[in-house]
Amino acid sequence: MAHAYTPGLRVTTRTRIVKERRLPLKGEVVVKAGEVMRAEDVVARTELPGNVQPVKAASMLGIHQEDLEEYMLKKVGDHVAKDEVIATAKSFFGLFKSHVKAPVDGTVESISTVTGQLIIREAPIPVEVHAYFDGTVTEIIPEEGVVMEAVGAFLQGIFGVGGETSGELALAVQKPDEELTPDKLNESHAGKIVIGGSRIQLPAIDRAKQLGVRAVVVGGIDDADLKQLLGYDLGVAITGHETLGLSLVVTEGFGRMTMASRTFDLLGGHVGRRASVNGATQIRAGVMRPEVIIPTETHLTDVREEEGEVQGLTIGSPIRAIRTPYFGRLGEVTALPPELQKLESEATVRVLEVRFPDGSTAVLPRANVEMIET
Amino acid sequence: MSEGKELRSILATDCGSTTTKAILIEKQGDSYRLVVRGEAPTTVEAPFEDVTKGVLNAIMEVEELAGRKLLDGDKIIVPQNGTEGVDAYLSTSSAGGGLQMMVTGVVKSMTGESAERAALGAGAIVMDIVASNDRRLPHEKIRRIRDLRPDMILLSGGIDGGTKTHVVELAEIIAAADPRPRLGSSYDLPVIYAGNQDAIPEIEERLGGKTSLEVTENIRPVMERENLMPARHKIHDLFMEHVMAQAPGYKKLMSWTGYQTNSGWTSAPIMPTPAAVGNIIQTIAKQEGIQVVGVDIGGATTDVFSVFQDVFNRTVSANLGMSYSVSNVLAEAGLPNVMRWVPFDMDESELRNRIKNKMIRPTTIPQSLEELIIEQAISREALRLAFEQHKALAVGLKGVQQERTISDTFEQSSSGETLIDLLGLDLLVGSGGVLSHAPRRIQSVLMMLDAFLPEGVTQLAVDSIFMMPQLGVLAEVNERAATDVFVADCLIRLGTAVAPIGKGKEGQTALKATIQLPSGAQHVEVPFGSMVRLPLAVGETANATFEPQGKLDLGSGPGKSLQTELVGGVGGIFLDCRGRRPFEIPTDPASRIRKLTEWSDALEVYPKEHATASA
Amino acid sequence: MIKNRTPLPASPSSAKRLALSACSGLVLFLGLAALLATSAAAAVPGLVVRDNPDDRGEAILVEWDGEAAGDSVRVERAESEAGPWVMRRALPGSAARFVDQGEGGPERGKTYFYRVNGQVLSATPTAQWWNKGRTNLFLILALYLGLIMVFLNIARKGGSLFIRKIAGLDAMEEAIGRATEMGKPVLYVPGIDDANNIQTIYSMAILNSVAKMVAQYDTELIVPLAKAFVLPLAEETVRSGYMDVGRPDSFRADNIRFLSDEQFAFTAAVNGIMLREKPAANLFLGSFFAESLVLAETGFTTGAIQIAGTANIHQLPFFVVACDYTMIGEEFFATSAYLSREPMLVGTLKGGDMMKLVIMVFLVVAAIAATMGHSEAFRSLLVIR
Repeated sequence: MAHAYTPGLRVTTRTRIVKERRLPLKGEVVVKAGEVMRAEDVVARTELPGNVQPVKAASMLGIHQEDLEEYMLKKVGDHVAKDEVIATAKSFFGLFKSHVKAPVDGTVESISTVTGQLIIREAPIPVEVHAYFDGTVTEIIPEEGVVMEAVGAFLQGIFGVGGETSGELALAVQKPDEELTPDKLNESHAGKIVIGGSRIQLPAIDRAKQLGVRAVVVGGIDDADLKQLLGYDLGVAITGHETLGLSLVVTEGFGRMTMASRTFDLLGGHVGRRASVNGATQIRAGVMRPEVIIPTETHLTDVREEEGEVQGLTIGSPIRAIRTPYFGRLGEVTALPPELQKLESEATVRVLEVRFPDGSTAVLPRANVEMIET
Repeated sequence: MSEGKELRSILATDCGSTTTKAILIEKQGDSYRLVVRGEAPTTVEAPFEDVTKGVLNAIMEVEELAGRKLLDGDKIIVPQNGTEGVDAYLSTSSAGGGLQMMVTGVVKSMTGESAERAALGAGAIVMDIVASNDRRLPHEKIRRIRDLRPDMILLSGGIDGGTKTHVVELAEIIAAADPRPRLGSSYDLPVIYAGNQDAIPEIEERLGGKTSLEVTENIRPVMERENLMPARHKIHDLFMEHVMAQAPGYKKLMSWTGYQTNSGWTSAPIMPTPAAVGNIIQTIAKQEGIQVVGVDIGGATTDVFSVFQDVFNRTVSANLGMSYSVSNVLAEAGLPNVMRWVPFDMDESELRNRIKNKMIRPTTIPQSLEELIIEQAISREALRLAFEQHKALAVGLKGVQQERTISDTFEQSSSGETLIDLLGLDLLVGSGGVLSHAPRRIQSVLMMLDAFLPEGVTQLAVDSIFMMPQLGVLAEVNERAATDVFVADCLIRLGTAVAPIGKGKEGQTALKATIQLPSGAQHVEVPFGSMVRLPLAVGETANATFEPQGKLDLGSGPGKSLQTELVGGVGGIFLDCRGRRPFEIPTDPASRIRKLTEWSDALEVYPKEHATASA
Repeated sequence: MIKNRTPLPASPSSAKRLALSACSGLVLFLGLAALLATSAAAAVPGLVVRDNPDDRGEAILVEWDGEAAGDSVRVERAESEAGPWVMRRALPGSAARFVDQGEGGPERGKTYFYRVNGQVLSATPTAQWWNKGRTNLFLILALYLGLIMVFLNIARKGGSLFIRKIAGLDAMEEAIGRATEMGKPVLYVPGIDDANNIQTIYSMAILNSVAKMVAQYDTELIVPLAKAFVLPLAEETVRSGYMDVGRPDSFRADNIRFLSDEQFAFTAAVNGIMLREKPAANLFLGSFFAESLVLAETGFTTGAIQIAGTANIHQLPFFVVACDYTMIGEEFFATSAYLSREPMLVGTLKGGDMMKLVIMVFLVVAAIAATMGHSEAFRSLLVIR
């Protein structure tokens, strides 16, 4: 328990970014090694056979199975659209009519007069894998995909939703503690990745969706809003497959959270540059955090990794409280008593003393703070 | 289980996903006792990537605390030589996400379920059950297997002399999927075949070359009987040989584990942590002839173990836990279910944010009392849901012929009823941070009572310092040493709960009790809807006579009295007359808060001044 | 349609008046003599003669005030006012009514004259479209049909209709699962009655679902038959079940076997199948008679899971003791709806259930009302004329 702190999120200004881009099943790779790609370019594609949908037409019409063909408006092989009437039956001299509507878009695969069923096959599902970020193809994985590389800035959020997308970075707020409200969004943000401040709420998300914003990077979000946005209560933090219309990367946490200045400055410094965002998060063994990639050089050069020094907490270290009652507040360590202390909850743990900018001080469990890199 | 030579001292470690815990056990006089324990962060992942570093750190802490030399450089000194070294070194591991398996069976609710039980009992997480009748098309099954990338596959199906085609078909699907293991692609995926023995040649033909296939006895030789042990042992063996061997540092660790016998040093396997916990619970149930439920609530998962009618069952609820999965507890249980345990009002949106923040920052701990109460409320729901899931899997076998008499005409029960019988439960053991580290032990008592709703007379205990895994692996080597320490040092006896079944009228006397406490006989009358706590220290017992009133039942029949011996603990005796089947909490907030506060005060669960002030 | 005439004589033609008046003294005398001879034939008070209501027009209703009438009432009929009079019935005055119908009764559309103790009235029988006496029956039927229509519609539109869990039904999947694991066939006996028996028809609906399940589990299904007419029906049912789940290739027509229409020859043959092929699941669903125990006992000794269902109540005890699960009477019919989820069956089942509920509620209310002394009100609601 003594040394528990959240693994730091990566926020680097220049690094080598390498990503494997794979198809879910075997297909065709459409690029060659060495090619320079843009984020939305397709690198590999394949097709999944369409699903089939059985329709119990005879019983829906209330007719005998063997008579089904008489009532059909479509033949085998015909294309049908969703909700299109494909069979109809009249009874009582046309007084009562019953219809069978196509449940999906597709083609009529078969009409069975034995079972009274129709089979409708949906169109094959094309599967394409994009380059995801501007970069160079460095390796081909035959029939499966490629390896993409670029050099640029890379940062991780703590939580995100929505899949991969890319666009130009745009700043919608002036300061990291400003909320991203609907009035700060305008037409110029369409198709871009918008950087917000401390929080975004549902009206602003809706506005962003309307405008066609590709992604939003913001300090915090309320869980109630997230539930509304997703349409369900998120249980396990495994995300990335949602189709929301935009991707969302939260850099700090839930609630109103001022975006770390390092993150804000890094993003702000690249306004106008093309970036790629992936909201996919997985907080588990093999942790995956949402990310923002800002390629600065598509031609690969040698990069010396900046080694973030792993340093422990010392007196004077700037920290952020990450649990109620001081949640989200920034401060400075003033003492690190070695002995265990009893908290209000009566738990006995290792603590530290912290002074907040307004001069007040507090005693916090060491597990409830995270260090802020300056 | 060879007793072997008398072991003088034992060192055991458990490599968890965050911490590695070491304990030192010594023989003192006739019995074995825990001497010290130490812990250090686990070092499986970057930057260290060698599990033994964490193990050595933990052992060094033990060395310091025990004042005894155990290490010679980077080596454990074995066997014991004077005061240096130990006679046995054993280890368990759940690092790297534990053992993740996929199992197959012909019929999902029959051999599929048997396979699931075999894998769970061996300490695995079952990612999916592929069965002939799971309504997925072959290509869907193939894709699923590819996506999952399990550590190991247990292929079963058919009774001996039963179907061959189905199980061969399953083998073909696995062969077509050609799965690669999750850790390291340099070795073939281990597949255990434990199905119809007649189909072995066909299975070998299809999977022999592509996977590292191991054949063992059928887990369901006839419909009426399961034979899970051979498959479980095979799973352990392969876990060692293939899965663990791939994890960084484990090869070295495996070379260390072993114990001294008459014929010299014998190496011992590293067990998956949950399998070891299951092992110690089974051992205890067998030795004392009791029915036991054990629960281990972790950050991401909650394991429930039970032994009823000599049948051992284990389930793992992969998405119920107190940190990574905390938000899922809320989603599955629903906010009202969590809030029913909270004795104050709270803004929903605020609570949601707090829970989600705990999810994304799983290592934080509750500082304020309010936070603690919320966390313990969530834990009740996590435990309750995990127990529900356990009840659903700990069932009798399906597909077995039933015998009927004419009196069954209108009550034809289905097969596969749950084995869990709360009235027959003797001992409930809790483990995991929220239970073991609750600031007041009585909080663990109430959490367990609320979540499991034990009926009749039930002893409660918690695992003080997560020692069950180490004792489980020790039980494989020396059963007596394991049970000695388990009884004396591992368990913290919380006391005994007495809860009559049924519903009474609020405020009317529900239970009359005469208890021969060491301080003298005490007569108590407990009104329905309330709880009473009586002190009875650890190691003490008391004879008691209970007279449940009205239709209430303590197991001897409605309104019938019961004589029994109660076992003491740090909490004492809890007379819980809040009702069972149904157990009800008022739904309107004012009476709920009043009731919860009343119970909390009766048991002194939370400091009084805060419990109300923080509202 | 009711023709009431004021008492006669109707005015005779003035030309004949003289001649008649000459005779009138005599007639009056004779009349008086006749009256004296019958002595009791006094006039009937409150007499009404009219078409009998709510019928097909072949009856005339004669009514009078029963309390005020004398001891004897003679009803005579003639096709013209002048006669000849035909005696229809003599009744005690307290009878208060007489319906002239049946043999020698009036014909529809003809006018008849009735002389009742000398008083003459006329009426014409006519047919009515609506028998008001049976309006209650109509309403009950309409309610029943209406309920069925409503539930049928809900079912057709894919609404979810809850059907109670029947243990035997869940067991069906379990039994088939067991057969699959054991690599043994499933035996399905649809009773020994002919294809026109309702139980056999329902059994076919269940067979279809069983065939689907069996096809999905990819195991073998044997259907022995006692009536040749059922053979094509069963064959088609099983085939369509296999096709529904997309495994027409697994269907084997050889497994649908006509054995014998001799009851015990059939039983012996089925026993033979059980003992030789050792099916792991036996389903007896349909109309069974004396063979039920023989089949179920043999099946039990082979260790199979057995599920039975029949509406032949006399066979239920045998099935209950020898089988794992037994569907009793109505449950058997509900089963086919449950399994097939066919809107027609589900809707009918739910509609019928709802009607039963209505009747039960009515019975309870009526019983309470009767206890409190209000039985008449309810009885009159149910009287059918």
